[in-house]
Amino acid sequence: MWQYTAAAVVGVVAVVLLEVRILRTGLLRTRAYWIALSICYAFMIAVNGWLTKLTAPIVLYDADATTGWRVPWDIPVEDYLFGFALLTLAMLLWDAAAPRSRDVAGTASTEAAVPSLPAESARGTRS
Amino acid sequence: MAAVDRYQYLLLMAGCLIVTLPLEMFGARVWRQPRRLLFALVPTVIVFAVWDIAAIAREHWSYNPRYVTGSRLPGNLPVEELTFFVVIPICGLLTLEAVRRILERAR
Repeated sequence: MWQYTAAAVVGVVAVVLLEVRILRTGLLRTRAYWIALSICYAFMIAVNGWLTKLTAPIVLYDADATTGWRVPWDIPVEDYLFGFALLTLAMLLWDAAAPRSRDVAGTASTEAAVPSLPAESARGTRS
Repeated sequence: MAAVDRYQYLLLMAGCLIVTLPLEMFGARVWRQPRRLLFALVPTVIVFAVWDIAAIAREHWSYNPRYVTGSRLPGNLPVEELTFFVVIPICGLLTLEAVRRILERAR
């Protein structure tokens, strides 16, 4: 039981670990990321709501695989974790492939270079 | 009516692309960096397609035949799901870059 719930939690943890341990883009500490994620969630409620509404569902969930909590409009709470993992993974890889890592001061690691180069950083504002 | 219904999922995805397209014109520059976009999308699509195939096999979820085309990829993955894993990250990236442009301009 709750297999989708468990998988969704593992998905979120895996994506966060990928950032913290390997990619280290700094994305999760930027204001731009959290604002963008909030906007995505707002639209997700509309899109996901359309896919999962119980009056005419496009996707049907096995009752045993989820907690059964569905808010609002029948969206399984697990889908918010799934959405976080999907969006965040794509954004992390997008930033990992950013051209700035070559631009910034030529050689220095981006970590060290950020404070000295506020203007031309391609990433969103920190904190 | 029923004929259109089978395209509901795909039409919803098309709607997502259309609604977010103006963000590219606004300066998001996501579609205009195709290699970087592919770098972000390919691993994401693979990971989530594998998750989806496993979840379908374990019957965590299924699809209402009334609202999907019925076309299935290897692993019994509906084409609509593959579309979802491409479209939704693109919408997210466009949103992220648009927010960055706004924050940059506000500085």
